[in-house]
Amino acid sequence: MSTPIGGGTLKCARPIDPAMLADYWIGFMAGPEEEAIEKHLFECDYCGHRLRRVIVLADGIRKLALEGSLRMVVSDVFLQRAAEAGLAIREYNIQAGGSIECTVTAEDEILIGRVAANLSGTKRVDICICNENGVEQLRLQDIPVHSGRTSVAFQESITFAKSAPSMRMVMRLVGFDDKGSEQVLGEYTFNHTRSMPGPGAW
Amino acid sequence: MSIELSDTELVLQIGSGDRDAEAELFRRMAPRIRLYGLRHLRDEAAADDLTQMVLMTTIEALRARRLREPEKLANFVLGTCRMTVLDLRRGAQRKERILERFGADLAKPPAMSTPDLDHDQLARCVQNLRERERTVIVMSFFDEQTGADVAGFLGISETNLRVIRHRAIHELRNCMETTV
Repeated sequence: MSTPIGGGTLKCARPIDPAMLADYWIGFMAGPEEEAIEKHLFECDYCGHRLRRVIVLADGIRKLALEGSLRMVVSDVFLQRAAEAGLAIREYNIQAGGSIECTVTAEDEILIGRVAANLSGTKRVDICICNENGVEQLRLQDIPVHSGRTSVAFQESITFAKSAPSMRMVMRLVGFDDKGSEQVLGEYTFNHTRSMPGPGAW
Repeated sequence: MSIELSDTELVLQIGSGDRDAEAELFRRMAPRIRLYGLRHLRDEAAADDLTQMVLMTTIEALRARRLREPEKLANFVLGTCRMTVLDLRRGAQRKERILERFGADLAKPPAMSTPDLDHDQLARCVQNLRERERTVIVMSFFDEQTGADVAGFLGISETNLRVIRHRAIHELRNCMETTV
């Protein structure tokens, strides 16, 4: 890690927590709190350097998001911003119990599966990624949705999708009620056909 | 010029016409002003402009011995930053006036050291976060949505959102540092 530049203190008796610096950087901070941080930063190069590390981290996360390589639940605003940034988004909408033919091309940059489900009454929702026989391979626990929503927009890694052969993938949304009982909210089948040159199987 | 000069000594020396002290002021304050500019203007070039403008305004004030409490140099510079950003948002009048006055004397702010980041490792660390943490982190840094918007999407309070975000940032930092 680089050495802080500029004069002033190279150590700090009361360094600002990186999470607070992150809040400052993204503007999630109330006026007096922000003023106190800025006053400190104008007297402390050590914390200034820590802020630069937070900025680099934030930029890295932005780049990751733009690559579309993260498997995650995303919001409509995320997709809107990605579209505004000029990213090519391929989205498939599917009802519970349904199946869909899908692919991905070299031009696609974000891949979304939007699955419909009734989430009312659920305390927690998991996404289960299953193989073509329905055997669970991966579980994303406690995804960020709430019971008022009627669909979940799931981003599949574009890197994974572009390298995948033709295959069938089953996704399940599993809900948990107050007592922790698990029930399937919906099952969705994606019939992926490879449309790019590459391997026919893993 | 020793970098051990206190802010007060720096102010007094600039007031007595010491050009080396001005260079030290520039070296000391430019990175701080630039960070402020990046935070509020969200643009590298605009942050560089801000740095030049604030330093010139500051040097002008110090040469004229207008800073009555030299020990409050940092506060003065911060206040000048705030006013200059407001001016920049209102229009470019102040910038033009200062550039006209100082013209060729303006030096480009020094390049800031940038910490390195292992992008592949960051990808692994982000993917290893809990689902909610990952979404919160990406929504916060990519979308730059308000806290209320992110909390609304997740159906949680802003206080809870802050807890999740802070936990995620600590986990990310730990993950990045333990693997360096």
